[in-house]
Amino acid sequence: MKIAVCIKRVADMGARFQIGADGASVSDAGIKYDMSDFDEWAVEAALQLNEKHGGGEVTVISLGPDSAQETLRKALAMGADKAVHLKADRIPFDGFAIAEALAAELKDGGFDLVLFGRIAVDSAAGVTGAMVAELLDMPCVTAVSKLEVSGTTGTAERQVEGGVETLSFPLPALCTIDQGLVTQARYPSLKGIMAAKKKPMESKPAQLGAISVNVSKMELPPERSAGRIVGEGAAAVPELIRLLQTEAKVL
Amino acid sequence: MSGQNFAFLLVLVAALGFFSYNIQRLVSYLKLGLPENRLDHPERRTWNLITIGFAQTRILRERGAGLSHASVFWGFLVITAGTAEILLHGVWPGFSYEHLLPRPLWQLFMLSQEIFAVIVLVAVSWLLWRRIVSPPKRLQGKEIHNTEAIIILFVIASLMLTLYTTGAFEYAANPAMRAAQYGWFRPISSLLGAALSGAPEGAMHAAYTVSFWSHALLVLGFLNFLPYSKHLHVVSSLINVWFSNTSGPGQVGVMKPMDLEAEVEQFGALDVDHLSWKNLLDGYSCTECGRCTAACPANITGKPLSPRKIVVDTRRRLMEKAPLMAGELDVEGSATLLMEAPGASDAFGNRLLDNYITEDELWACTSCRACVTECPVSIDQLDIIYELRRGLVLNEGRFPEEVQPTFESLEKNASPWAFSPADRARWSEGLNIPTYAEAFAEGKRPDILFWVGCMGSFDDRAKKITVAFARILQAADIDFAILGQEETCHGDPARRLGNEYLYQMLAKGTIETLDRYEVKTIVTFCPHCFHQMGNEFPQLGGNYEVIHHSTYIERLLNANMIPLTTEHGKHLTMTYHDSCYLGRYNDVYDSPRESLKRALPILTLVEPERTKDRGLCCGAGGGRMFVDEKVGKRINVERTEELIATGADVIAVACPFCMTMMTDGVAKLESAVTVLDISEVVAGQLAPVRSRELVAGD
Repeated sequence: MKIAVCIKRVADMGARFQIGADGASVSDAGIKYDMSDFDEWAVEAALQLNEKHGGGEVTVISLGPDSAQETLRKALAMGADKAVHLKADRIPFDGFAIAEALAAELKDGGFDLVLFGRIAVDSAAGVTGAMVAELLDMPCVTAVSKLEVSGTTGTAERQVEGGVETLSFPLPALCTIDQGLVTQARYPSLKGIMAAKKKPMESKPAQLGAISVNVSKMELPPERSAGRIVGEGAAAVPELIRLLQTEAKVL
Repeated sequence: MSGQNFAFLLVLVAALGFFSYNIQRLVSYLKLGLPENRLDHPERRTWNLITIGFAQTRILRERGAGLSHASVFWGFLVITAGTAEILLHGVWPGFSYEHLLPRPLWQLFMLSQEIFAVIVLVAVSWLLWRRIVSPPKRLQGKEIHNTEAIIILFVIASLMLTLYTTGAFEYAANPAMRAAQYGWFRPISSLLGAALSGAPEGAMHAAYTVSFWSHALLVLGFLNFLPYSKHLHVVSSLINVWFSNTSGPGQVGVMKPMDLEAEVEQFGALDVDHLSWKNLLDGYSCTECGRCTAACPANITGKPLSPRKIVVDTRRRLMEKAPLMAGELDVEGSATLLMEAPGASDAFGNRLLDNYITEDELWACTSCRACVTECPVSIDQLDIIYELRRGLVLNEGRFPEEVQPTFESLEKNASPWAFSPADRARWSEGLNIPTYAEAFAEGKRPDILFWVGCMGSFDDRAKKITVAFARILQAADIDFAILGQEETCHGDPARRLGNEYLYQMLAKGTIETLDRYEVKTIVTFCPHCFHQMGNEFPQLGGNYEVIHHSTYIERLLNANMIPLTTEHGKHLTMTYHDSCYLGRYNDVYDSPRESLKRALPILTLVEPERTKDRGLCCGAGGGRMFVDEKVGKRINVERTEELIATGADVIAVACPFCMTMMTDGVAKLESAVTVLDISEVVAGQLAPVRSRELVAGD
């Protein structure tokens, strides 16, 4: 099966974020970057599908500055076969602009399956995959937690409130991958890292669509104020209840 | 030459020829292994041969069995000289040492043969009794070739007995030679011979011939049985001791350097031909005595690891694979397959990893070096485990799933735990401790780098050790600084877990930082940091003087640089738990004990049953800190029970990993015993002028 996986390079979520000088971006200082978690699971899902069915090819695609190549190399080290870097000065917030660039690349690729992560863990918009499906006129299933392919038919499961729904669709199709489809993305072995250095990586300018949505301001959440000790033992209970009712307004 | 002598010559040539064929075959198998230079420091190697080999120091660590083995071994050395004479005598009847040596010397030689034969007989009888009647635990189980051992012991006993009978029959058959050839210097043969001297001389001649041939055939049979049995160690163990690095030369416990840029088919080892020839020689030398397995904390607590099995499996796999390779090995030892050999493709599809040694065995190891320390023939079980772990991780990306967050955090945060690097020096807030960056900005060059380590930086319990040690340094007016946020993990956990790639990335980064700040002397309270930076960094070009805090505190106390209070409080009984990376890896046993005694002269120090180089691991070494302990009894509980049983009020440790394991053990056993780092005990005794709060007390 020919599978494409679109992946995004994002800041490590464990970092302590600071707002950049323009007030509308995250400062780069002390931040480490890696593949978005959902995208990692999508790469893992693609590799597992091809391992199960034998043969096939996994192409990973990422849009962004040159540093995106580092993330693509990681996917190659995990086992993807080739990589395409769609070069852009920065990753715009507007998912549709990105979707147009990705669709332009995917259009003539002859892919049986296109995978995305359900969301990018930094922007958490979760729209780009669906937009690409629309542009390519492909069936789209979002937030897939189980994926099977048999011949030219795909079967996907989605976790919905209180249950599971199973969907079937013809290939080629586009799926966005949710947590739970794979238990863990594989860790690239040194052998994989060495092999990745020799795998093909194509870099070309991204054909971004018009950008119509921009971030105008970013703010950190307000700092949590320190806790307060109301008193000790049973004597403090009435005061605590009063405060929870009047100040915290949770009762 | 008589017909009989000619027949003997034929037998002798055939036996020696077959033995030499087998030895050459075994040596050619060694060439399947990777090259490794083991010819350095011949003086150190020869010293090991004399002490561990000839003086049997390691085997004597176990009194009873050790003394028996040593008796057989020394007897073997003495009696082999006599055996050579007997074999030559068979071909050339006129040959005797009698003609070569002055008579008193010859008499002494004859006496030595008879005395050692008695000693060997006594030892062998005891060993047989032990094998058959009351085998210790390490000699039970299906891995053990017990029948083989029993046969060998009987053969040795028969060799000794025929030595006497041959002499006795010769005495009885030849009255003429009695005066010159027999007497006080052959007491047992002479006595036995005298008892037989009434018998017909013809019968005695015949009996002599039978006895002589029996002895000679037993010797030659024994010789040719060796290459097919675990008794190959008779041939290989002395050689193995000479080539071994487990007792030096070089720093012990250092992992093999690895060139990640090398064009190789695999990294680390997946099969025997990815191990070094020395690892394979270890396989030949294993006697299956099981001292390693009996000392293994994983094995003791019911995990699937047995270091003996690792070595025996290496030999078994070599014996399976090597015959499949073409006889013509080139210099590098690479070989062509003889795939047409029957069963070859099946056997070739096997490999050491998975088919012989499973992943679970490899991950159970705490790298405590107890196995290596116990081995009487200097086998390095740990080296094989490390190479296979590297094989698993670097080629196949296989490791326990809970290790993945550790690797990822090391990559992203340069710490095995997902803490922000920005929080690394939080513990130092308000303590007035300069960082190197601050010191350099003021144009200062601190004398000492206090390397805090990841545990000391982020773990709440270990941070108290950090503060305690910093206070000692301040009280002693030491010119020191920390790296603060610039400190990064040196990668040792990744290395121990087989991830050499990640290790080298982190280690090189750390070395860069250290060199940028012109660091020369490092003090740390983590034995893992101490071992890694002091002993393994030189492989990557990082050369520093690294001192463990136990040694450093002892030095400061000896120099009276630490102002101590004279108030000693209530009398305490303490027991000290040895850290593997401090003790067995670096031979530091006394400094922590001395530091405790000097800081608190009224304390009573008691030792647990397993202590110093026999100490039991806490269970956290070798990356086990990051692997769930799912099988068997918890190692830390086993160890804590033993420490509590000493009746101590305080368990003293000198390692933050041991601290975590012992604290957990005490909690699990609901004991009231306190666990303290030695620096906390010392900081608790600082003179009040300098120390505002007593750290150890809280």
